[in-house]
Amino acid sequence: MSYLDYNLRTTPTGLRKILHLNWALVLLICAVASAGFLMLYSVAGGSLTPWAEPQMKRFAAGMILMFIVAMIPLWFWRTMAVPAYLGSLVLLLAVEFFGETRMGAQRWVDLGFMRLQPSELTKITLVMMLAAYYDWLDIKKTSHPFWVALPVVLILLPTFLVIKQPDLGTSLLLVVGGGITMFVAGVHWLYFTVVTGLGAGLVTAVFTSRGTPWQLLKDYQYRRIDTFLDPSQDPLGAGYHITQSKIALGSGGWTGRGFMQGTQSRLNFLPEKQTDFIFTTLAEEFGFVGGFTLLSLYALIEIFCITSALRNRDRFGAILTLGIGATFFLFFAVNMSMVMGLAPVVGVPLPLVSYGGSAMLVLLGAFGLVQSAHVHRPRGSV
Amino acid sequence: MTRTPLRPLARILRAREEGDNPDAIERENLRRRHEAMRDKLRLRAEGRLLVLSLFFVSAFAMVGLRMGHLAASEPSEPRSASAGHFIATQRADILDRNGRILATNLLTHSLYAQPPQMIDKARAARELVAIFPDLDEQRLLRQFSGERKFIWIKRKISPEQMQQVHDIGDPGLMFGPREMRLYPNGRLAAHVLGGAGFGREGVHSAEIVGVAGVEKTFDEFLRDPANAGAPLQLSIDLTIQSAARPVLWGGMKLMNAKAASMVLMDAHTGEVISLVSLPDFDPNKRPAPPTSGQASDSPLFNHAVQGVYELGSTFKSFTAAQALEDGLAQVDTLIDTKGPLVWGRYKIRDSHRMPPKMSLADMIVKSSNVGSARVAQEIGAERQKDFLRNLGLLEPSPIELVEARSVRPLFPSNWSEISAMTISYGHGVSVSPLHLAAAYATLLNGGRKVSPTILRTARAEPGPRVLSPEVSIAMRGILRDVVRHGTATMGEVPGYNVAGKTGTADKPNPVGGYYEDRVISTFASAFPAENPRYVLVVTLDEPEETSGLEPRRTAGWTAVPVAAEIIRRTAPLLGLRPAIEPDLVNAVSLTSN
Repeated sequence: MSYLDYNLRTTPTGLRKILHLNWALVLLICAVASAGFLMLYSVAGGSLTPWAEPQMKRFAAGMILMFIVAMIPLWFWRTMAVPAYLGSLVLLLAVEFFGETRMGAQRWVDLGFMRLQPSELTKITLVMMLAAYYDWLDIKKTSHPFWVALPVVLILLPTFLVIKQPDLGTSLLLVVGGGITMFVAGVHWLYFTVVTGLGAGLVTAVFTSRGTPWQLLKDYQYRRIDTFLDPSQDPLGAGYHITQSKIALGSGGWTGRGFMQGTQSRLNFLPEKQTDFIFTTLAEEFGFVGGFTLLSLYALIEIFCITSALRNRDRFGAILTLGIGATFFLFFAVNMSMVMGLAPVVGVPLPLVSYGGSAMLVLLGAFGLVQSAHVHRPRGSV
Repeated sequence: MTRTPLRPLARILRAREEGDNPDAIERENLRRRHEAMRDKLRLRAEGRLLVLSLFFVSAFAMVGLRMGHLAASEPSEPRSASAGHFIATQRADILDRNGRILATNLLTHSLYAQPPQMIDKARAARELVAIFPDLDEQRLLRQFSGERKFIWIKRKISPEQMQQVHDIGDPGLMFGPREMRLYPNGRLAAHVLGGAGFGREGVHSAEIVGVAGVEKTFDEFLRDPANAGAPLQLSIDLTIQSAARPVLWGGMKLMNAKAASMVLMDAHTGEVISLVSLPDFDPNKRPAPPTSGQASDSPLFNHAVQGVYELGSTFKSFTAAQALEDGLAQVDTLIDTKGPLVWGRYKIRDSHRMPPKMSLADMIVKSSNVGSARVAQEIGAERQKDFLRNLGLLEPSPIELVEARSVRPLFPSNWSEISAMTISYGHGVSVSPLHLAAAYATLLNGGRKVSPTILRTARAEPGPRVLSPEVSIAMRGILRDVVRHGTATMGEVPGYNVAGKTGTADKPNPVGGYYEDRVISTFASAFPAENPRYVLVVTLDEPEETSGLEPRRTAGWTAVPVAAEIIRRTAPLLGLRPAIEPDLVNAVSLTSN
């Protein structure tokens, strides 16, 4: 076996692992995060404080975390899956009882050195748990009703805790992310059809019953759903964000107004401009070109995750990579749809770009897992 | 699925012959089987990934397309500049039956502040308090220096106040035009109109929504842009209303009553010409609904529509009319009025001594409880209930006032014989004065059912027949006699021959039983008696006429003189000519020929 062969066919050890990292992914992540720094610098009116600098520091810490996670063999993460899942459930419960309330929702728990949003962490630990579960489970049993019910419970447990916070966006992400993980693990498609069908049926039933004597919800509940689905009915209240961000996107046009020239975001028309709605700033200042470039960067990250999973013959590694990819996808797809008025506003940040510590650290840690799965994938002859 | 056996016998045997290890064959086959399985799974997994990728790609495409679409769109002006744009502003006027304005809109301004644009916050707060003394300077200053970027200061300001605020000269103080509902006649017809408040509010306009009365009943109509501002015309006559209200007010004060109400109704169409409930309120400054105490003590309470009372002897007319209609008695049939009438553990007695026998007419004129109870026994509970239902006394009134919809008459669920007897003289059934007016209209207009309305309608066809015209004519004669020489002699108005029936009912005590000294006194009347065109019901709540030696509470002393004064004032305004009474009234009876 030549040295080259040896390198390709054996799982690397020690510092040699660094060579086997997917450096393209690292570059992509850096590019996306840099776009975020630029935007945070711009919305602060051309200043590193109060957002861009802390964000950079967090990103640096996150990158170190990512490398550490990537260096640790995958079997360790497989064994860590159950404790990590249980740990995040405990943290969610802790939020329930000791959490801090900010902006009307109880989401943060103080760890002393930082404030953590356990719901962010749960997105990843849930995927880990599901991947470990399907790795452990005999493939033949994958579609057995009992063995399908179990992961459903695993998904619903944290979802319930997150809904109570209340955080609709994250709980939605948990359910859909968990569902996709189950889908790629090979659970029979009939289950998904039935669940989707039931959901659609319920929604249709609720809406067709409206105005009839047997309507399922109260009138005011329907009106709330109306404003939720179509915020333009209430342009100064619930629809304010969407109205403003649509204007920002429209005024950006194809090429944008230029860096630091955005008026909508910088003139304080937009609340939450540094977090969930940061995409509007980007779209306003760099136009369609900028927005589409960011979207393409995200797409490339997704493509990397999928190809890496395809090449990975380790079941845990493959499912984990796909699950994390799906979660990441849901993050930016939901955020962009909501900013552009395609989906109701549910409060999901733009991954790696929005200002926020927990999400950034957790996502980079997750990419560490993806790298670890990539580095430690089984090699050798098929 | 066809399975290759792991240990095919032929090969094993051959291997044994050749001295090979047969286990190697098994291992080999096992490996093949596993690989086949894995390949299948792999295929399936790749299929899954394909589906997932398709999902991803379509999401990318959607987001990308939307991005392009938005980038290509012209940014519309920021909505805040025209936020109130789609709040409907024009609310239709409400007119009386002669086209005079009862409710209209007036352009006013609201005052709000945008603190980031304010120059001298302390000065602005100080000067605002000088203009609006009800504002608190400290609080204003706190609001101006707080986080908020938008603060309402006043919802409605006058042009004079607007000029003063303008003179402060602070660019952060701004005005937003808005329409307000104006009731130029103030308290007149307050309960009919109800009132309006602001619904959705924008900076540049505010939506007016009806909160009570016709404003609420016809809210949709009044707001509907499709009507192109067509006004809503009511049956109320502003002139009559303004003539009647002070009289009723004076009567209420004179009789020391707690509350009073009157309904003047067209006896044929059911149009309510005038409706007053006292105490009342100014719909321009509609008070907040009371949070404690009885709802009926609030000026918002419409006694004529929402107040359901046992209206006492006024019900005897229905008993007599039914007896005539069913052929159980004639006007001059003698009725046994010897009291007390003992029925089980109940004892029915009259308030003053009566002769032992009276004609049916005299029974009404003198108002004998015992007599009408005896007549009710003849009629029977079922027929009585049907008759009262036909008169509309057992259903919520169909009048177009929101308050009326929720007011159900109260009557015993078990309509027993003793119930029938007490109901015959107005105890045991509670209805509103408006119900009573409609029933009297039906009774006296020739027998056609009247359903009350607050809208001006040219209703051509009369309602279904409830009574024969002969009975109706006979009732006119009997009720005319009540005023001429019965319990309502103070109701005589020269030139306008009033017919009517009094009713004095003890008020029920919420603790149980009835008060000794609190009554509802009612006079249900119609004029002119020979062919009634209008029905008037006056009700006083807890009246006490104190000019005599001891307080008098009976309707004859309280409600009747007030009603007579109202008729005296309003009949000429209604266009009725005073006439010398034809002497025929009493001659027209079922037995006259």
